[in-house]
Amino acid sequence: MALLAVSSLSASAQTIYGPASDLDPLFRGVLTRPSNLANPQQYAVDAAQAGDIESAISTYDQLLFYNPNLSRTRFELGVLYYRLGSYEMARDYFKSALEKRDIAPDLQQRAEEYLAIIDKKLLPDQFTGFAQTGLEYQTNPGAGPGPQTALASGGKFDTRFSSKGDWNWFGAFGVNYVHDFETQRGDTFEASVIGYDAQQFTLHQFDVGLMEVRAGPRFMIFPGSTSGLSVKPYAIGTGALLADAPYSAGGGGGLTVHANVGSIALDPYVEFAQQSYRNSSFYPFASGLSGPLSTYGLLASGPISPGLSWVSRVTYAHDNASFGPDSYNSYAADIWLPWNFTVGTDSRTWTLTPTAGVSRWLYDAPDPSIAALTTPRSTEWRVGLGLDVPIWRQVVLGMLVQYRADQSNIPAFTMHDLAVSAGPTIKF
Amino acid sequence: MRPWTKITVLIAGAILAAIPAVAQQVGTATAVNPLSESTPPGATTVALTVGARIVHKERIHTTPSGSVQLLFLDKSTLSIAPNTSILIDEFVYDPNSGKGHMLATLTEGTLRYVGGKLSHEGEAEIATPAAAIGIRGATGTFHNDKHGTQVIDLFGTFTIHNGAGAVVLMRPGFYVTIRDWNTPPSEPGPVPEALNTHYMNTTTSTSAQNGGVGGLKHVAIDDCGIGPAGAIGGVQGKTCPETTWVPTDTAESNAFQTIITATQRATAIIDLPGGGRRTRGR
Repeated sequence: MALLAVSSLSASAQTIYGPASDLDPLFRGVLTRPSNLANPQQYAVDAAQAGDIESAISTYDQLLFYNPNLSRTRFELGVLYYRLGSYEMARDYFKSALEKRDIAPDLQQRAEEYLAIIDKKLLPDQFTGFAQTGLEYQTNPGAGPGPQTALASGGKFDTRFSSKGDWNWFGAFGVNYVHDFETQRGDTFEASVIGYDAQQFTLHQFDVGLMEVRAGPRFMIFPGSTSGLSVKPYAIGTGALLADAPYSAGGGGGLTVHANVGSIALDPYVEFAQQSYRNSSFYPFASGLSGPLSTYGLLASGPISPGLSWVSRVTYAHDNASFGPDSYNSYAADIWLPWNFTVGTDSRTWTLTPTAGVSRWLYDAPDPSIAALTTPRSTEWRVGLGLDVPIWRQVVLGMLVQYRADQSNIPAFTMHDLAVSAGPTIKF
Repeated sequence: MRPWTKITVLIAGAILAAIPAVAQQVGTATAVNPLSESTPPGATTVALTVGARIVHKERIHTTPSGSVQLLFLDKSTLSIAPNTSILIDEFVYDPNSGKGHMLATLTEGTLRYVGGKLSHEGEAEIATPAAAIGIRGATGTFHNDKHGTQVIDLFGTFTIHNGAGAVVLMRPGFYVTIRDWNTPPSEPGPVPEALNTHYMNTTTSTSAQNGGVGGLKHVAIDDCGIGPAGAIGGVQGKTCPETTWVPTDTAESNAFQTIITATQRATAIIDLPGGGRRTRGR
């Protein structure tokens, strides 16, 4: 009987691999001397910084056992569960952190900020967005060439469209709506609207209004995975006013895929839209631009360092306009580098966003009325710097300086513009 | 067999039995609030203390004031609430390959499992009288009482099956209830906030307890939590939570592009020398 017992225990022992000595030293320290407080403290921070969120949670759980009255432990657990997308647990930990007497004002503010975000994320109908109004000065709001520009066709250039500075009042908004169907697949319906209107002080031929709507369902491909892989077909509607008259309208559809690859988010997309332009007194030939527009693009974003990240977009578009010379292929690339930081003792977040971009326009054929023998080729370079300064709660002062320069083999298409704008922005 | 031979075999057996028992450490009790008890296989029940080795086939029981955190070799943990009984049925783990298997049985009470290497391989399992729950890359809360079992997904995927059916739970914040082994698991649905809060509060110390380790006055936290590097409201570093940064000048850029195109076409309004106006050919 004793031998059977030995045999049985030996068999069990064979299934146990690797003594604790095979483990990494810091973890081994936590495992063998858990009451040595230096071990779990260091291990928790290291694990969180290495992205081993579950190990970090386990270790802060351990520290919470040792002192459940420390708000910082509960706050950090809230952050870690937030990072996992476990918003219910994150909410509970942030709330419990706020209930602790030792909570510092800055930690309290951050916990409240997290809770505000979480409350939105846990609603079945979520709205986020911004609205801004302000003043802008542009050296060339009409994107026109200099007044002495000659046309190869022999005609005189219409000087109403030549380069001239002007101020404008502008309003802009963007709203993103997400309806969570509250299935565990995580499928949603999403809609976004962006709008812009600018009224020039003197050059009213450049008064412009624009609205774009995109809406469609998003289906998760692998629910529960960290890849976040999803696909969204969507409808598009656009409309624009120019010189206070209807200018264009369009409708179509698109398809986009979202995927997380490591810390990088990728959103490739294709869009097809039928555009219709209307002639007006200022723009009597606009209807020639009507036709289908196909766009293929990739949005990507990721972190660079704490507080600093990158957002990029590259696109290819083909426009098949009804007036042949207005058809084109275009290539564009833009990058934004939003950097969040604080100033002095103010714990509120400022955001500085350098931007840069380039577009290449290749038209299909010469326009005889401009240059009968030259097919237009244009390149636009643009750089900018945005700064969001916190004012009060969700209100920031948004400022933007942007410079654009278009070089073209058609002198009338060559232009440059410096724009400076500022105004209060509310983000929600 | 002669008596002295029997004694020799029994002694040898006892010695050999003792060796693998030591080798079978699968984890450590990293926090213990009294009274929490453990019953290693073939041994008597003792009060559990911080640093105690947890072995294969060990039973853990907590009283109404007791709670425990167990840390396993694969870096997973079990936070065990008061009035809970569990058995570590199986724990096999090779730190070099990350392979193995874990099975624990929850007979009553509440525990929170935070995943480690084995759950990442889909090799962790919690059994209750009402269901068997496979865990993949997951963290969750488990409760069992006379009314059945509850499983709350805090992260990852849980495959729940019993004699009447199966369901997959894969969205954080959703939960499933299972009345008994012969009743199908419920469809997953959002966990009530009060329930989640209750389990969060019970799977750690009360305000008057210290998990068996006193003196913790301050904890270090990651930069995400506080300080300039971790300010929220924009995209964060990879160790920080991310919120989507949206350029607010998209519509303005599109509007300006509209003007550029319009102006380029407007230049085609040409006043010809000698009078008259030429329009664009179609």
